[in-house]
Amino acid sequence: MSFGAFGAGAAAQSNLNIAMAEQELVSSAEQHWCMTLLFKFTVYLTQEMVTTLFNNIVDSCHKKCIPPRYTEEDLNKGESVCIDRCVSKYFAVNAKIGEKLSGAAQQGQMVR
Amino acid sequence: MSSPEAPQNPMSGGLFGNTPPEAVIMQGIMESCPAKVVISGGAGFGLGLAFGTFMSSVDWGSNTEEFRNLSTREQIRLTLKDMGAKSYSSAKNFAVVGAVFSGTECLIETYRAKNDMWNGISAGCITGGVLAARAGPQAALFGCGGFAAFSAVIDYWLRHHD
Repeated sequence: MSFGAFGAGAAAQSNLNIAMAEQELVSSAEQHWCMTLLFKFTVYLTQEMVTTLFNNIVDSCHKKCIPPRYTEEDLNKGESVCIDRCVSKYFAVNAKIGEKLSGAAQQGQMVR
Repeated sequence: MSSPEAPQNPMSGGLFGNTPPEAVIMQGIMESCPAKVVISGGAGFGLGLAFGTFMSSVDWGSNTEEFRNLSTREQIRLTLKDMGAKSYSSAKNFAVVGAVFSGTECLIETYRAKNDMWNGISAGCITGGVLAARAGPQAALFGCGGFAAFSAVIDYWLRHHD
């Protein structure tokens, strides 16, 4: 870039402008990258939470509802009913404890 | 997806969640209490027909003098009518027994959310008691005990054989 008659001052200024623009670009790219990373991490955590929840429900309802002696491969009526109720109760317990936890956290916050 | 211990993705329906929804609904209907009552009643009706036809060959006083004087055609007609009536009444009885037993057992199992022999035994007691109720409380007690024992034997054989 030759600036000829405008002199070294103008060249230095435009160089500075270019440098500032580059820095802003770099920092906004970094920001964008950070946000993407955060978003992906949140998605991953949520997926992991849901998967963990699912596996916990499957494990605990299986332990509770299905006696260890298998006489047939399909679920019979008692087991189906038990599993329906088990899942429903699990979610209800989950929600209730979540309420209490958030209530306790709120109280803790207010006390502080 | 290779082993049950590997974390399962809930959105893919677990490990084998690929049954078509029609099959799931159909299975649900087949296992519901009203469907069981209808199926058991129907099976009882069929069994009662066979049993009644078989038992109507036992002579219950149709070998009278005036019967023997009728023409052969008439005798056959009357015999068939008698067979039909006995089969039908026996079929109705068996259908009622089957329906009541099955319905009661299904209700008890739904209430307890368990599947063991006590469902059948309790249902047998109730069925026997209801069927014998009009003959008095002692007959109801005997009916309950007898039917419950019968159901226990059948359940035991079904669950513990081979």
